[in-house]
Amino acid sequence: MKQVKKFRLASIAAIVSILFVLAGCGSTQNSSKENSDNSQKVSVQHELGKTKVPKNPKKVVVLELSFVDALQGLGMKPVGIADDNKKDMIEKLVGGKINYTSVGTRQQPNLEVISSLQPDLIIADVQRHKAIYKELNKIAPTIELKSRESTYEENIDSFKTIAKAVGKEKKAEQRLNEHEETISKLKNELKEESGQTVLPAVVRDTSFQAHTSSSYDGEFLEKLGLKNAVKNKEAYAEMNLEQLSDINPDILILANNEGKLVTDEWKTNPLWKNLKAVKNDKVFVVDRDLWTRFRGVISAEAIGKDTVKLLNNKQQ
Amino acid sequence: MTNLVQKQKMNKYIVLLASVCLLIIGMILHVAVGSSAVSFTEVMKAIFAPDDSKQTTIVQTLRLPRAVLAALIGASLAAAGALMQAITRNSLASPQVFGVNAGASLAIVIAFILFPDLTSQSTVYIAFLGAALGGMTVYLFASGGKTTHVKLALAGMAVHLFLSSLTQGVIVLNEQATDVLYWLVGSINGKDWTHVKILLPWSFLGLLLAFGSSRSISILVLGENMATGLGEKVKWIRFFAGILVIMLAGASVAVAGPIGFVGLIVPHIARKLVGGDYQRILPFSALLGAILLVYADILSRFIAYPFESPVGIVTALIGAPFFLYLARKGRNIKQ
Amino acid sequence: MKRKHSYQMLSILFLCLIITIVISLGVGAVYISPGEIFQQIIGSSPGSSFILTNYRIPRTLIAIVVGAALAVAGAILQGILKNPLASPDVIGVTKGAGLFAVFILIVCPTASMLLLPLSAFLGAAAIAVILMVFSYSQGAKPHTLALVGVALGAICQAGIQYFMIKFPDDVNTTLLWLTGSLWGRGWSELWMLIPCVALVPFIIIFASKLDILNLGDEIAVGLGERTKYVRYTLLSMAVILTGLSVAVVGSIGFIGLIAPHIGRRLVGSRSKFLLPVSAAVGALFLLIADSLGRGVMPPVEIPAGIVTAVIGAPYFLYLLRREQKK
Repeated sequence: MKQVKKFRLASIAAIVSILFVLAGCGSTQNSSKENSDNSQKVSVQHELGKTKVPKNPKKVVVLELSFVDALQGLGMKPVGIADDNKKDMIEKLVGGKINYTSVGTRQQPNLEVISSLQPDLIIADVQRHKAIYKELNKIAPTIELKSRESTYEENIDSFKTIAKAVGKEKKAEQRLNEHEETISKLKNELKEESGQTVLPAVVRDTSFQAHTSSSYDGEFLEKLGLKNAVKNKEAYAEMNLEQLSDINPDILILANNEGKLVTDEWKTNPLWKNLKAVKNDKVFVVDRDLWTRFRGVISAEAIGKDTVKLLNNKQQ
Repeated sequence: MTNLVQKQKMNKYIVLLASVCLLIIGMILHVAVGSSAVSFTEVMKAIFAPDDSKQTTIVQTLRLPRAVLAALIGASLAAAGALMQAITRNSLASPQVFGVNAGASLAIVIAFILFPDLTSQSTVYIAFLGAALGGMTVYLFASGGKTTHVKLALAGMAVHLFLSSLTQGVIVLNEQATDVLYWLVGSINGKDWTHVKILLPWSFLGLLLAFGSSRSISILVLGENMATGLGEKVKWIRFFAGILVIMLAGASVAVAGPIGFVGLIVPHIARKLVGGDYQRILPFSALLGAILLVYADILSRFIAYPFESPVGIVTALIGAPFFLYLARKGRNIKQ
Repeated sequence: MKRKHSYQMLSILFLCLIITIVISLGVGAVYISPGEIFQQIIGSSPGSSFILTNYRIPRTLIAIVVGAALAVAGAILQGILKNPLASPDVIGVTKGAGLFAVFILIVCPTASMLLLPLSAFLGAAAIAVILMVFSYSQGAKPHTLALVGVALGAICQAGIQYFMIKFPDDVNTTLLWLTGSLWGRGWSELWMLIPCVALVPFIIIFASKLDILNLGDEIAVGLGERTKYVRYTLLSMAVILTGLSVAVVGSIGFIGLIAPHIGRRLVGSRSKFLLPVSAAVGALFLLIADSLGRGVMPPVEIPAGIVTAVIGAPYFLYLLRREQKK
């Protein structure tokens, strides 16, 4: 009996050690792939330090929507996007069908797929992907920028950094100039409305989340001349009907979630009916993806055009 | 001898009176405290001499229903807990420990995912289904031989874990992040008269039936031998009480999510204050439960200021240490 | 007869494990055939080596070690508490680890990545210590340990939820971590699990003591065992195993609950066989759960914690029917 036991123990040990040997071989292997010239590298400063990025990268993988927007503005298409498995959302963002590979959710992008694409550059969100920065760098040079928590100004900065990383700084400058022009034009069209208070908010089935002056859309709307009804250092503020009725904005912009909404119940309440925005018929429902998820130079302009359309329609 | 009995009776009446006062004060406080400033006089005016002012609207349409809801749910959950402790003759029983809450919650979450346009009325029926399944699962696990504390606690925890991790999983996969906690923990934020209307019939019916049958319930706790002597009837009483529990707890979860610990703690306190007779424990638990939840809801506005917390967290933060205290005592508390 | 049967069972399980390893290495967003894997071993094909060596292999190994660790912890706890429903999740150890980890995740998000596992482990240890202190006066009776454990778990759960309310921006990340998953776990995480492997000889020695305990306290004392201390030592081992596992993968549930049950059905209750068999079953369970999570709808990964809960359900109900029949 003892012999049998020894044999089994030995075979188990053997299997385990083979696995560890495999491990040993694997971890010493140099895994980075040099897809472009060693000598041609650009040093890019980002939220987690400096990374040497190859000049003029061809294959870029982006892990947040604002980066898709940025690349689109620079005339580039990424080979891989973390799209939460929603292809149509990406089509909405770039305004048509594009060829790319989905690398999974933004929250947990699939490292295997990313590595199989053999990218030259990876752009990640510093809030979501800080923990895997090292892992991403093993696949390809990675820069991490603010996306999810970025304000409008920070988003423009990220745009410039991305332009530097992909070698299209001239184009970026040009695009930003166009952007400024578009904004002043939009601001002009909103001249009659300027000075009014606006409150953008995301509505779900149990919460009403207002976007303050520190949020992306809040800050952008202020650029268009509309004051945000809530001045706060925090970007988001949960609100109940009482607080909303205290704040009483002139214009209410609602980005609705799918399904049941807390506002469905509020609509029957006299407090809601007495809101300035409700009485003046200035409550607008907008596309949640565009207003709160995309973020970027192109999306901002789309938000602006949306706003003009909604407000100016009311004038007639 | 008669003096002692009379004194005890007096004590009980004092306790009753004190509780009712506490409840009324609590409800007024509840209505007075909120996000916008409404002074005490304005509150009184709104209740007794309503006019068209904004303050009155706030009080009438937002604050009052929430206070009423807190009281109703507190009463229902506490009564449900007392009933469960009688059915199982186990002092650790409660809708939460028994997976009734978690079952109802899971059923609702799944229903919302599958049928996003579900009306609030139908949610109640789904909650009943989930509550029944959850409760039965734990009951089957924990019975079979003696329903000891340990068996029940472990069975309940295991089923609760299982159900809430499923709920959590379903919600996380659907990316409804901020609403998760609501369905895992229970909250009365933002509820109004529509919710009260949904809950009221079930609560009312359940409580009334519970009080009415408290005599029969007392039989259940008489002890194994007496109960078996009465045979057939006991089974039916148990079944009936079980239905009441599902009604009371299920409806509460449908309206406010799985608020825990109320059903566990309140019957114990009630027992300490008015003795072991179920004809007194049931109504008194309801009263105490209402008080507990009303005050807990007031607290819930302050513990994570400036955010409003779900009331379920306050009851958990108060109740869990109490649970620990009960666990250390560890013996079967015979009525 | 029984002995031989047990050894056979062990070898069958190991065979299953090998097969599952190969499948697991192959499954994922990028399918790697067994042929390619074999070529990797003999060192010829460079193609999929990056994925294999950086992701699949360490992840597979982590799944095996964590699955085995949780299963053994569950088996030990079920032995100490003499209750088939005991497990690290139910006794509050996992929740304690979760609480400390959530605290660090939220309060110091900029902390080094080493801090998170450390705090998870400390949390598990803290609960264990409190558990032991509270039950010391009563001789660490299984009864008390179980109840106090459940209560402590409830307290930790309340604490976790409180943190999530106070800091709502991080709720999604926290929840994802709490659900338990092997996403993004690699070699650095595997090294953290070394103490688990080092514990193995100790567990084997103490396994026999566990059997003696199960004969009943009086007999055990009669045989010279100091029951309180044996229980505490075994509890500590279970805590180390659980703490490290939670530190690495978050709180994956049900393995500690179900694996020992299956083990008991296969080889009976003698710890000498029950522990290794439970370990093998646990490893298989987690490996399968992780592979399913990776392979079902790529590139999206379903966290292993959800898969174990979903798989655990039918088995749980099956257990229920069996208990009812007794």
